[in-house]
Amino acid sequence: MFSIFKKELQSFFYTPFAYALASLFMLLFTYMFATSIAKLETSNRLMFSFTEIFYDLLFFFIFLIPIITMRSFADERKLGTEVLLMSSPLSVGKIVIGKYLANITVFLFMMLGSVFFPIVTEMNGKVVVSQLICAYIGFFAWGAMFIALGMLISSLTESPITAAIIGEIVMFADLFIDDFSGTAFISQYPKLQSGLNAFAAQPRFAYFSQGFIRLSDLVFFASAIIVFIAWTYISIEKRRWNRG
Amino acid sequence: MITIENLTKYYGNNKAVNNISFTINDNEILGFLGPNGAGKSTTMNMIAGYLPMTSGKVTIFGSDISKDPIKAKKNIGYLPEIPPVYPDMKVTEYLSFCAGIKQVPLSKRKDEIKRVLALLKIEDVKGKLIRNLSKGYKQRVGFAQALLGDPKFIILDEPTVGLDPNQVIEVRKLIKELKKDHIVIFSSHILSEVSEVCDRVVIINKGDIRAIDTIENLESTFSSSLSLHIKVKGSKSKAASIIEMTDGVKELLSIDNEGNDIYAFTVQLEGDAEEIQDKLMADLLQNQIRIVEVYTDKPNLENVFIDLINRPVQKESLADLLDEIVPETTDTDETDTKEED
Repeated sequence: MFSIFKKELQSFFYTPFAYALASLFMLLFTYMFATSIAKLETSNRLMFSFTEIFYDLLFFFIFLIPIITMRSFADERKLGTEVLLMSSPLSVGKIVIGKYLANITVFLFMMLGSVFFPIVTEMNGKVVVSQLICAYIGFFAWGAMFIALGMLISSLTESPITAAIIGEIVMFADLFIDDFSGTAFISQYPKLQSGLNAFAAQPRFAYFSQGFIRLSDLVFFASAIIVFIAWTYISIEKRRWNRG
Repeated sequence: MITIENLTKYYGNNKAVNNISFTINDNEILGFLGPNGAGKSTTMNMIAGYLPMTSGKVTIFGSDISKDPIKAKKNIGYLPEIPPVYPDMKVTEYLSFCAGIKQVPLSKRKDEIKRVLALLKIEDVKGKLIRNLSKGYKQRVGFAQALLGDPKFIILDEPTVGLDPNQVIEVRKLIKELKKDHIVIFSSHILSEVSEVCDRVVIINKGDIRAIDTIENLESTFSSSLSLHIKVKGSKSKAASIIEMTDGVKELLSIDNEGNDIYAFTVQLEGDAEEIQDKLMADLLQNQIRIVEVYTDKPNLENVFIDLINRPVQKESLADLLDEIVPETTDTDETDTKEED
């Protein structure tokens, strides 16, 4: 499992891949940060919220996460290296988890860059650290879930580009579930509305960003991760059976 | 010892491998021979534990590959048809990764990598990115990977494809050396290679085993029964009945329409070929049938192979054979599938 983890990290960090992604993330964060400060001048408030920045960033992250995960399995299939992994004395479960941990590490690496902004702010003002930590935990949980989802989608196809595009569509849909379920049309059917809401990840992140760590939200993210990872495992096994 | 029992694989409704069984003994090189699309790679993928079988059983030194895959796979080194290499890795990085997933102990990894680099003679490219290597080198890097950790059972799917003649000789030598303390199964469609390297061959076509034997036995079996090819002009049914009646004719294998009223007969003979041929020709001429061409096959592995692969399913009677001729030249493959349908 460690070999898979190491190899995946090599493929991210020995190439410009991880750095390009991280700098894109930094660029987005800088943009948000700068506009937040710019807004201070026009309003008479003298505070802004990092958690709001994170909240807005979710939208952009929809595009970044599938790029991390798109290669996980689609690329192995394309290169013909899936045979190597499957004929080695490694279980499919270990391969999936090794890859998942590597993707999470890249995500953490990207998040690490964002710590720079609160530090700069702290040097010139005051940061509410407790709320920020909550937002980080929420952001991590949210990302970890979408990485699992992205890997599942990568395991369903042979082309990394297809995996990325489908991933973006699915994650986009999830981001807008709560807006959609809040519309007047859906409100007519309360059961449908609550059913849809159960799948929405964004409102759960909102609690984290407000400084709440709720057990139900943690359970939501954890169970979603487990479901997606298990599904990835099943999808790989199923493909082996149906391949032809 | 490796045993393969009743191995069958369906892709949807399509039967790719049909109920094949064989064993490979210790210190043996088994050749796996067949035309493209015969089911070679599918079989190898199943033996290596990559593809699950629809039914059947593969036992690697006593461990069932489906029931105890981790234990069975520890003894396998597999080089698939397309070398499974990562283009973005350097050769040593790649081999070190492979050693990792093959669970070669950390302390032995360096020596192992050195050993396989030397065996495949690829030390000179060890620091290069795999994407920049030529096809032959990629193939050898893939081969090196299969030998990491010194597994006792080596599966090689067309290992010499893409190599230059010099490298082919070296790789063949290496395979022969492996025999000392390994079991090797290797597939190929190059006959000379198989006859040079292998102890026994399995000939497979369309998912069925056509023959399992040593090369010497295959050649001798077929040299006792010669094939005679005779082309005649005139009535095909008359010619066919004369050929069938002649003494020494074991079996009328096929009749092809060559156009212009010319028919090509393939006949299997038994006994003194020259004598039978003379008698046959005399009989045909007496019946006003013109002979356009006559020749016999010299038995060699190539003919054995072609014969085994192309041999149509046994015909019930002469009438069936005659019915089969379509006005234009027919492809044996096509007629085969028609029958199966």
